[in-house]
Amino acid sequence: MDVRQRHNGKRVVFSESSFKRIRSLIHDFLQRSRASLCIFADINGYPIAYGGDTRGLIISTLTALAAGSFSATLEMAHGLGESQRFRFIYHEGARHNLYLANVGEDYLMIVLFDKSVALGIIRLLTHQITNQLDELLAELRRNSDQAAQMLDREFRDLLGEELDRTFGLNRS
Amino acid sequence: MYYDVFKQEVIFKVVYYGPGLSGKTSNLETIYQSLDPKIRSDLISLKTSQERTLYFDFLEMELGRIKGRKPRFHLYTIPGQPQYGSSRQIVLRGADAVVFVADSQPERMDDNLVSLMDLETKLIAQQKTLAFFPWVIQYNKRDLPRAESIEVLQRKLNFLHTPFYEAVATTGIGVFETLKCAIQMAVQKATTETQVAR
Repeated sequence: MDVRQRHNGKRVVFSESSFKRIRSLIHDFLQRSRASLCIFADINGYPIAYGGDTRGLIISTLTALAAGSFSATLEMAHGLGESQRFRFIYHEGARHNLYLANVGEDYLMIVLFDKSVALGIIRLLTHQITNQLDELLAELRRNSDQAAQMLDREFRDLLGEELDRTFGLNRS
Repeated sequence: MYYDVFKQEVIFKVVYYGPGLSGKTSNLETIYQSLDPKIRSDLISLKTSQERTLYFDFLEMELGRIKGRKPRFHLYTIPGQPQYGSSRQIVLRGADAVVFVADSQPERMDDNLVSLMDLETKLIAQQKTLAFFPWVIQYNKRDLPRAESIEVLQRKLNFLHTPFYEAVATTGIGVFETLKCAIQMAVQKATTETQVAR
């Protein structure tokens, strides 16, 4: 994810404890809303946390497409002279409905629900969870540390070897 | 970069940039066709009715675990046609590295330059610049008889002396060398720019 504009030029990743808090909010949302799937993703299309029925779905592809779709509406909003982005997008299908809502500037929620669930409930509860997530993210941004060397020299060397092997390249 | 602490996965975004018809989608198609289906996704292409990239192409690939962490890579192309500037801005967001696919034909030099300047303009809009951003140039279509010499291409396009590769994307020449370089530059950059939220 990329929040460098608002965070001293640094990127932020989630620790296990912050990740668990997000998962907990999603779990609660799914129970209350009866939506079939809920994904919290960053605006660049990375799925951060999700819950619900993922059978037959490729989450990373769905999220990349949803993020693209959502971002495109930003441009529409600008083109129409809106001072802010659209808050949500709703796609109605024959069996499934898709609801996309922004969480602050850098994240979005993707909610999949079937015809038995009222859109009004989804709207209400999505509004609640996005506010909760927005507050949590603000708190996390205030409490960020320099990362340990997750991607140290050894990791990078081994990655180079793995890329050579996978790509069929001679090690240079 | 995105780091998933539960799955211990590190995800990087690499964007293929360049003028229309320079071979960005061909790069992804070659990668898609060459890799074991077990380690890559389907190739998602959002195309116009004329088979030109409308919004982006998307391909995900993964490697085996390294020091317990699984690297994954999201590869995107941008639509090269001038009228899709907004789409390019969106796709470029969050990129960890860029592959600039230049067309080696002399008559496409202006298009290459315009696209390179467009890339810099869009990076500046995201508080970045090519001078401090991981990017690599791929001189594509080297098999064409009228391809410009590397010396001329370097002089006209690579004024920042970034790594470059010669390629024929449709046959696979140079495709993986280019991607490997972009990935390694992305990882190097991410190492120094990452924080963990407690």
